[in-house]
Amino acid sequence: MTLDASGRPLSDFTVELEVYSGPYEWLLALILKDELEIFEVPLRELVGLYLLSRNPQDPNALERDTDFAGSAAALVLLKSRTLSPILEVDAEDLDEEIITPEQLAERLAEYMKVRHGAQILRERFSASAGHYPTAHTLLPRPGRLRLDPERILDAARRSFSRPAEPTVRHLGPITVTLQELVSVIHSALMGGPVSFEVLIKDMDRLHSAVAFAAALSLAQEGRLGLSQAEPLGSLTLEPAE
Amino acid sequence: MSGATLKASHLIEAVLLASARPVDLDTLSSATGLPTDEIGSALAALAERYAPENSGVVLRNVAGGYQLATNPACSFAVERFREEARPAPLSGAAYEVLSCALYHGPLTRGAISRVRGVNSDAVVRNLLDRGLLAEVGTDRESPGSPALLDITEDFLLDAGTASREDFPPLDSLVGEEELARVRERILSAGESQSPDETL
Repeated sequence: MTLDASGRPLSDFTVELEVYSGPYEWLLALILKDELEIFEVPLRELVGLYLLSRNPQDPNALERDTDFAGSAAALVLLKSRTLSPILEVDAEDLDEEIITPEQLAERLAEYMKVRHGAQILRERFSASAGHYPTAHTLLPRPGRLRLDPERILDAARRSFSRPAEPTVRHLGPITVTLQELVSVIHSALMGGPVSFEVLIKDMDRLHSAVAFAAALSLAQEGRLGLSQAEPLGSLTLEPAE
Repeated sequence: MSGATLKASHLIEAVLLASARPVDLDTLSSATGLPTDEIGSALAALAERYAPENSGVVLRNVAGGYQLATNPACSFAVERFREEARPAPLSGAAYEVLSCALYHGPLTRGAISRVRGVNSDAVVRNLLDRGLLAEVGTDRESPGSPALLDITEDFLLDAGTASREDFPPLDSLVGEEELARVRERILSAGESQSPDETL
């Protein structure tokens, strides 16, 4: 396998699981977007699929393995967190969260019943699948929508109430402008191309961020060039030709 | 079969064919102008005509009403004709959430997560999207008045049942012996711990 044009070693790794079939990267995206339940994804099977697709002779095997190990470790962490019992963080409620063995037994018994109920549902849904009604759909009947005045009142209260002003105490005074940084960049470019790291070497975070915004703005206007050999690599500012 | 019954069944058949949703007895009565008892005998005749072994269309008594639908045995042809696949099967987690809503609903997302012991928000969102759960109100007793969730008509349709009463009671789902065994194991494990180690 060679690195494809996208530069992502795992871009050609596809998986066939019961819950998902397709590119591995899309699987990660679906999990991160909560479109797919992490605890529905069999991680062991996933690792097995990767090992099957692995080619140790590949010049990029190490990079590919590293990427997979990193993402698989993140999935394991995410899954273990998801499966952990929900803990209330409120210290005042801590006493209420202490579960006696009797309560635990009660909860487990309740869960067992729900789980058996789930099994019955699975059988009912399976037995009932494949019924298709006519494709003709009726228009909604006027006056059949039930409106609960209390819910409307609640919705109105939420819509018309003013949300609390967010605090800005953590923000310091703004002491730099985009124009100032544009001048700094122009001065730096007088001597030829300059790397962004060198440009911001003596700047604090705020100045660095504004310098980056200024560089992007100038590049968009065609007043300088930006080059980056690889994603997340070093950024070089070049005078406009 | 009398002429009157035949006519009633024709009317009901026509109304059911024109509706994608189940039609209850009152609506059938008001649409056809027939008394409820006559509709009952006509439905019995239709049920015989549309028995799965006799027809590619079946009469279903689901979600509090009656519905004409294709026979599941013919579903492969229907799916090929419509060029659509059957919806992806629900996950085990989804069935557990539905089971919570069926037996404990209406209830909040938090209550579902407490029963299952894991966060269930993503599963709930998926079930809301599929129309199997719906928000039916708010829990005013809880902080923030969280939404209350319950099963929907689509749930009953997909489960092929007329109402939630068609399901066995929750307490009958697990045998007393099995529950006692679980309690005993947990309590004996709890006794072996000091009080400070209580979960």
